[in-house]
Amino acid sequence: MGKHENAMKNQVYSLPSLIRQQYEDLEPKTRKLLTTPEIFSIQKIIITGCGDSFAAGLATKHIFELLTGIPTEVVTSIELSRLYATNQLGNSPNNPFIFAVSHSGTVARVGESVERANKYGAYTIGITANKQSYLGKSAKKTLDLEIPSFEPSPGVRSYLVSVLSLLLLAIRIGEVRGKYTMDVAMDYRRDILTQADLLEESLPLMDSKTLELALNWSEMEAFDFVGSGFDYAAAWYGHAKIFEAAGKYAMHVNTEEWLHLNFFMRNFSKIGTVMVANSSNPCLSRALETIGYSIELGRPTLVISDIKEDVFSEDCTVIATPISKYPISIPLTQFVPLALLSGYIAKIIGEEDGRGCKDNWSFAQNGNAVKNSEIIIK
Amino acid sequence: MLKNFKLQTAEHDVVKLNDEIVEFVKSSGVESGTCTIYTPHTTAGLTITSFWDPRGLEDLQDEIRRIVPTRIDFKHQHDTPQDAAGHIKSSLIGVSMSLIIENGELLLGHSQGIYFLEFDGPRNREFYVKVQSDK
Repeated sequence: MGKHENAMKNQVYSLPSLIRQQYEDLEPKTRKLLTTPEIFSIQKIIITGCGDSFAAGLATKHIFELLTGIPTEVVTSIELSRLYATNQLGNSPNNPFIFAVSHSGTVARVGESVERANKYGAYTIGITANKQSYLGKSAKKTLDLEIPSFEPSPGVRSYLVSVLSLLLLAIRIGEVRGKYTMDVAMDYRRDILTQADLLEESLPLMDSKTLELALNWSEMEAFDFVGSGFDYAAAWYGHAKIFEAAGKYAMHVNTEEWLHLNFFMRNFSKIGTVMVANSSNPCLSRALETIGYSIELGRPTLVISDIKEDVFSEDCTVIATPISKYPISIPLTQFVPLALLSGYIAKIIGEEDGRGCKDNWSFAQNGNAVKNSEIIIK
Repeated sequence: MLKNFKLQTAEHDVVKLNDEIVEFVKSSGVESGTCTIYTPHTTAGLTITSFWDPRGLEDLQDEIRRIVPTRIDFKHQHDTPQDAAGHIKSSLIGVSMSLIIENGELLLGHSQGIYFLEFDGPRNREFYVKVQSDK
């Protein structure tokens, strides 16, 4: 075993086969989950979750709107459970339609948000691998995930399956509502499946470039992860993995705000700056400007993109993600280099995932800090 | 003789097939026999109707839709409401027809057009024509 091997990398290398396996499992399940009358009753969609599950919502919000034409919000579970206006829950029968994502189903705030939403008449769908969990029991329906167990690490496989589940649901809702033909819907689905092959082909180069970068970036003091639209979801995911795996400061911010705020940080040469910029993003022009300013400032800059490397300055590192037929498939692969980066940095600096939940972090053992919390339904 | 024909349809399309079928029958050399036209789809149909006024073709699709509206409470929910309605329309209209060949030509009335009815679309579609001699 090489000295840089780590569990996140192993999870990453399992993703192509996971996409194929989960597609076979989830395509029929997402087809049958909602009845046609339920699909036609949807006036508004909310996606909620914590951590990676929240990021999966960010990754698919615009895709839900694009494919279904239904206004879609991503709401943190604490806002949905404590703050979200009750007159906006159940304001019409079965609305809003809430997709609550939690692989374990045991996260207190997610279950609480679903209980509260039910109380005021919303329609709740749990996306979870544990039907007997708090979320599984609280939601009116569940999309039952079955992710084969694997060497544990900060979430890589579970994140991909959350994104895949939401993508397949969006495609299904748009299809049934007649936004496109069944042939087009199947073409979207085939493109999702094709990402398994494309990722498999891309991984060796993606991996070697990421390792090279991680060796240079392991002593960075902090990280900025920058993107807009569903690129922002990948940025959000990247910052989360730096916290979880490497235990370092990280921030997520949208492309515009980075130029209003983050670039003022003094110690520019010690802040690894990751710009996520896919070719289909309407914000691409701003992303290219921001990448230019980051390089000019002297920030060590990594660009994650499906655009040809020679479009970018030689003064930044570019890691290529697969080129998909449809932009909706991009969120399935663009987070992968960020998982590799965090895994390698953690390994290089000798960090244990989640600090091993030892010493000062012992209160978080077995997910205690997120599972055990007072439930208040008001 | 059997021949396969391909076509691309638009949503709720009505496509006239006369020219290619008449040509195929002539090229078969069959003087007296039967021409069977068949489409292997479950959301499309074959029919004969007048070709003189194209708006009449719109009437045809409109009336079929009136009889079988696309509803959201079909029991068939594996696909889409349009698909469920299309299955019923296809069953009612039918997916095959037999025509008479006499003196080497199809026996068609002067107003009769052979039409492919699309109950979904846009789709890539096909139909078969088989010519059998009486001899």
